[in-house]
Amino acid sequence: MKLLNETSMVIGLREFMDNDQGWGRTQGREVYQRLLGFVEANPGQIVFKISMKGVKRVDISFASETLVELAKRYRGLKGFCIVDMSDADMIENWAAAAERKGQPLFLWNGEECRVIGVEPSQGNREALQFAMTRPNVRAAEFAEAVPGMSIANASTKFKQLWERGFLLRRESVADTGGVEFVYQRIG
Amino acid sequence: MHCKIDLPAQWVDASGLERALQRGGDPHGLGVYDVWIRFPAGCKMMTDATIRLLSLTNQLAFTTRRVRLDFDEGKAGTMGYLNRIGFFDHLAPEVEVTPCRPSYSGAALFRGGNAGVVEIARINKDHRDRGLPERLTEAVSRSCGTRADAAELEGAAWMIFAELIDNVFSHSETPLDGYAALQVYKNGNRLMVAVSDSGLGIMETLRPTLQTESPKLASLSDVDLLVEVFRHGLSRHGIDRGCGLKGSAAKAIKFKADLDVRLPTQRVFLSPARDSYQANTAYCYDRLPLLWGTHIGFIFALEA
Repeated sequence: MKLLNETSMVIGLREFMDNDQGWGRTQGREVYQRLLGFVEANPGQIVFKISMKGVKRVDISFASETLVELAKRYRGLKGFCIVDMSDADMIENWAAAAERKGQPLFLWNGEECRVIGVEPSQGNREALQFAMTRPNVRAAEFAEAVPGMSIANASTKFKQLWERGFLLRRESVADTGGVEFVYQRIG
Repeated sequence: MHCKIDLPAQWVDASGLERALQRGGDPHGLGVYDVWIRFPAGCKMMTDATIRLLSLTNQLAFTTRRVRLDFDEGKAGTMGYLNRIGFFDHLAPEVEVTPCRPSYSGAALFRGGNAGVVEIARINKDHRDRGLPERLTEAVSRSCGTRADAAELEGAAWMIFAELIDNVFSHSETPLDGYAALQVYKNGNRLMVAVSDSGLGIMETLRPTLQTESPKLASLSDVDLLVEVFRHGLSRHGIDRGCGLKGSAAKAIKFKADLDVRLPTQRVFLSPARDSYQANTAYCYDRLPLLWGTHIGFIFALEA
């Protein structure tokens, strides 16, 4: 079975923009349509890494209408994360846009990662951290790693994280023969 | 009936313009057909006052009032500065200027030449200038380039222009142009970022949808609602929008910028308190002479 993260695709946001500065809702919607077209032209792709190389600046409205809207639209089905972004100003703008729409976004810097826009709830933080350390995770693995954690409890936490856009998941067959979900990080 | 507005013989910022308007009466008032604005010797217009005055003058001309601008010093005085920043390029052609309009556009001649002065830019949704925020912000790097925080300052100015100008495109609903300008005042250690439009005003565009979108906010006063807009964000389009003004304020607060918002008959002046703009540190002026639209100015304090 192919591990989903092996097929994460890197695309440059700059290729979908007319110039290196993302300004306003109208431009944002044009770029959104182009991004949407690209995603739909790659139906088997589950995770997209969006590179900010060559993007000089974006305002909050543009950020909101492009990647944040895209991530929100596909929440739970496909994952979008950001790479090649280190400018504090830019990060602030993307975070503000993501926060407004209640959509978490992951920023990857090599192997390190941070989430912007929305934080997981206090109760689910540990579960998310656990999931982020490996490409795929099952509730049973988390339950085993944390003393006193039941599989049902772990399953609920991962499900909540999936519903809120922090993780993706797919169905799998459990050892017992029933249905089990495999959760994976975005990136 | 005519209305005469005498500007003072000194530096005139937005507050100075307001005082002159209050003394002169209400130029948009019923029965006023003739408006005379006098620039005495020694009068020196600042950028935020200039674009509000430009908006006002063009509004009055639009309502077919006769408008005269009278420059006591002729080309020697503030007229030269106004010409330099493009005031006359954007002034409605029906407006009379005495002694006479400049014979050439100083802005066109010297564009971009002075690191501290930026020309007035026109905002019109049917003629969107995609490079506008960048051009306006270039003045920041030209005049503040050696500062340690230059990149951050430039980023903040760019985003404020981007958001404010996009708001004019999205919400303004007027055939009249809006204006944007930026000026660095080295002696005063100030950076002024100003956008003016002649639309309905923030309150008029927001309030109609508040009953359905955010009923709790509908009962707030205009000042409290305005502070809410800048602190938490608000939009007539729903709760997942409305981050432009809030985002702009967040950037400006980092530089301890004052925020000046002129609405049709009110003005709210906010100074940063701790890390945000708050209602209890706002100055609010009510029942001001009518000025259509929304006029926003951020005044950054530049530490030496």
